[in-house]
Amino acid sequence: MSAKAHNHGPVGRVEDKRLVTGGGTFAADYNVPGQLHGYFLRSDRAHAEIVAVNTERAMKHAGVKAVITGADAVRAGYVKPMHTLTFPGKGGMQTRAPERPVLAHGGVHFVGEAVALVVAESAEAAQDAAELVEIRYRDLPAVVAPEGALAPGAPQLHGNVPGNLALEAEVGDAAAVEAAFARAAHVTRLKVEVTRVAPNPMEPRAYIASYDARADSYTLHVCCQGITTLRRHLSAYTGVPEEKLHFEVGDVGGGFGQRTPAYPEHGALMLAAKQTGRPVRWVSTRSEGIACDTHGRANVIDGALALDREGRFVAMRLDWVNDMGAYLSPASMGHIRNTTTCMTGVYRIPALYATYRVALTNTNPVSSYRGAGRPDIAYTVERLVSQAATELKMDAAELRRRNLIPPEAFPYKTPTGSTYENADLPGLLEKALKLADWKGYAKRRAQTEKAGKLRGIGIATVIENTGAGQAAKDEVELELDAAGNITVYTMSKSQGHGHETTFATIVADALGVPFERVRLKQCTPERQHRLQGNHTGGSRSTVGAGSVCHLAAQKLIEHGRAAAALELAVEPSQVEYADGVYRTKESKRTLKLGDLARSKPVSVIAEGKFGSTFPNGCHIAEVEIDPGTGAAEIASYAAVDDIGTVINHAVVEGQLHGGVAMGAGQVLGEKVVYDPGSGQLLTGSFMDYYMPRAGLVPAIRGAEHATPSSVSPLGVKGVGESGCTGSLPAVANAVMDALAPLGVGHLDMPLTPSKVWHAMQDARKGRH
Amino acid sequence: MYALNYVKAKSLKEAAAILAKNPEAKLLAGGMTLIPTMKQRLARPTHVVDIAGLSELRGIVSKGGKLVIGAGTKHHDVATSAVVRKAIPALAGLAAEIGDPQVRNRGTIGGSLANNDPAADYPAAVLGLGASVVTSKRSIAAEDYFQGLFATALDAGEVIVRVEFPLPKRAAYSKFHHPASGYAMAGVFIAQTAGGVRVAVTGAGPGVFRWTAAEAALAKSFKPAALEGLALDASGLNSDIHADRDYRANLVRVMAKRALAKLSGRK
Repeated sequence: MSAKAHNHGPVGRVEDKRLVTGGGTFAADYNVPGQLHGYFLRSDRAHAEIVAVNTERAMKHAGVKAVITGADAVRAGYVKPMHTLTFPGKGGMQTRAPERPVLAHGGVHFVGEAVALVVAESAEAAQDAAELVEIRYRDLPAVVAPEGALAPGAPQLHGNVPGNLALEAEVGDAAAVEAAFARAAHVTRLKVEVTRVAPNPMEPRAYIASYDARADSYTLHVCCQGITTLRRHLSAYTGVPEEKLHFEVGDVGGGFGQRTPAYPEHGALMLAAKQTGRPVRWVSTRSEGIACDTHGRANVIDGALALDREGRFVAMRLDWVNDMGAYLSPASMGHIRNTTTCMTGVYRIPALYATYRVALTNTNPVSSYRGAGRPDIAYTVERLVSQAATELKMDAAELRRRNLIPPEAFPYKTPTGSTYENADLPGLLEKALKLADWKGYAKRRAQTEKAGKLRGIGIATVIENTGAGQAAKDEVELELDAAGNITVYTMSKSQGHGHETTFATIVADALGVPFERVRLKQCTPERQHRLQGNHTGGSRSTVGAGSVCHLAAQKLIEHGRAAAALELAVEPSQVEYADGVYRTKESKRTLKLGDLARSKPVSVIAEGKFGSTFPNGCHIAEVEIDPGTGAAEIASYAAVDDIGTVINHAVVEGQLHGGVAMGAGQVLGEKVVYDPGSGQLLTGSFMDYYMPRAGLVPAIRGAEHATPSSVSPLGVKGVGESGCTGSLPAVANAVMDALAPLGVGHLDMPLTPSKVWHAMQDARKGRH
Repeated sequence: MYALNYVKAKSLKEAAAILAKNPEAKLLAGGMTLIPTMKQRLARPTHVVDIAGLSELRGIVSKGGKLVIGAGTKHHDVATSAVVRKAIPALAGLAAEIGDPQVRNRGTIGGSLANNDPAADYPAAVLGLGASVVTSKRSIAAEDYFQGLFATALDAGEVIVRVEFPLPKRAAYSKFHHPASGYAMAGVFIAQTAGGVRVAVTGAGPGVFRWTAAEAALAKSFKPAALEGLALDASGLNSDIHADRDYRANLVRVMAKRALAKLSGRK
């Protein structure tokens, strides 16, 4: 069942004028009376014992009010962040989670780890004084590569995590896979790395922590993806009850998963606010952000795909090493579990077995990043499939066609136990092939070669789980005033997504009122302890909160029907509602929606809990490679996506385009690099860390191929992560396709000009 | 950034006087390198002497076979100057490729040369064209001016006033952008001058240098083919996480060929 046509929304995004003309209010725009300023002194080494900390000279510096250290963190008990790797491991193994005081105590485990918080009357004084804090370290050997960390004899990070192995897990049927591989006509093997990247939202982190001594409560000004998950994490980390944690959040300039968890800095600032009795403000620099805001991806996957004589997939085996950095982030679960949910992708693969080894390394912790595991598994499977096609000299689209889950097989139960709701994968594939002019490729390639370049085409057909969240339910409150204006309160929080457009459209549609009548308030303080709901992440907000917006509007209509019946002096069954007006069937007397609120505002709260939806897509990229420099350029990009019913096409296109660029950037350039010996961060600024630029991706040809979801009343599926889930494998496959004729087998991302050029030289010399 | 004294100089003379009195003072023109360095606390000048507005450092003139550009001239102004485009179009093109619009609208030619970043573009043009760096004290030939990684012939307190470029017969610049920073990973400036062919390379080594083997080969035949198989000793080139020296050596050859191709009319 899907809602009626969305005809009450705007064509574009209503928030854009404010956001692109400097009208937004971001975390660093907040200042509160009496505030002090914090500066975090951070570890300049990857692994060391902290022998002594002396803050005396720093405390004497003019303007300094406090220097908070690891000893304070331990005294307060701010030492044990929650983690979410709660699923059972191999043989019932439980996750081994290291403690992490909000300021390092006893030892440091990665470059950038906060060791002390200096609090002063000005940010400059705090930074000056931080140079006077004396820390005596005893250096220890560091390990930054996850496979190296799991190897015998590797430096050990934490006493309670022997072998640096936080968790070992498995999924699927090992015996069935072994048997299928033994019978297989062909086996494709590929070990791939999904590189560690720094999400780099445009807005740097900024917080103000204030302590109210009378109420023994805290207020934090934050940039976040919604306060509910952050509050849960922070309460678990600090022991401060959730009802004593209040938040202020304005516009948020990007999140990508990185703005979800509670960070040590939240807790350290709370300690400082309580100790000084004054609010303490901190604004991160970009370099701190690259070093200390959680990283993404960082998975190594050893994969094998078995095929029969007809090119049908019979089994797949994947062995994962997941690099979680030095500590487990509170938001680490999805990052691993999401790779399980859609492990066999869009294909019928009857037998599957996978193992996970979760490693700790002397690096910044890894957490969710746009897709959180979904792009990683899509990349792995789609690289394997395209590699198999190359090895079998088969058309990459034809091999997919043969193995797609047919429409009649839905709902489809996967070998890992998840159930895909619906999709039309063959239809999606054919539409994409047409959009990309797959048949005309040879001609384009010939043209490119004439110009002295190489050309490659890459296809990816992907599916991902979106929508479900960890909150017990999503709640939305609608408040109607006498003028007929409706305020919508949600606990989801846009970080640029366009909730103000999408959610207001949903409510305006359901009520049949002009869009301008509806306005959205997200995570407002007065609703924080009244409404439950998921934060915005995992492409879930329109499926969850958006659907509840629809339910809330229906509830408001029903709620008003009784009051209208009384007013109109008829039975409720005799009252009809349309376009903001109640009317009786007989007398045609009317009552405006706003009239319900003449004496006081009318409020309704609706709730919903929804399972996963399964957006899917087929992305086709073409690249041109300059043989002189090895530089790959994306020559064309076509994407067909099934994201169910679309509320606002501009919002959806924006999400897809941004996601595609993000994935393409990771394939062609992005990577966080630590020095393997010292553990120093070598990509600590944009001088060395590649950030994709707008020119990376040409105009994307996109099309929709909707199979509406029945998970929620709106028919929607998630879209926030679809772009990079598709582009990561599509762009990589295109580059590999261009290089395959030279004999280049496999390259790991990032496919930088120098890496591609070297591979070409090696292939020419027969070394690849 | 550490606390410092900011002075807006009213004249070159005043700026020089402040520099003379304060050995740890720094000149500020566009600030495109100095300010980020100060923000990272890697530079700690006692004084910042702002010379950005000085009219003595402005101006672009072409006369007597020379193109003269004031040290305070911004990259954007060089890139869009009709005088530069007519006199040495390759120089205008080079300026148009520096950094991004923000950098081009603040950064200056004098600032770039005084800093002598090994991956900056202007040093390639100055050395490739055999220009002279005219300072508050003297005129320094390009050969003498560049002294390796962030090092120049400038004395303490010496201020660049203008750069004098002799007009070449023809010249071209080709650059491969560093994927992250956008600086030159290799930039090659080739000029046919009255004194012969000059080939200057930036980005690939610890400082701008002349590729003399290429100069000799091109003196015989001014065509891309002349560079085929030409030796380029990679041992002195930069090697880092972005590219090793062999790749940079390749880029130098490829960029040189592409610069030549621009001159032969092909792009």
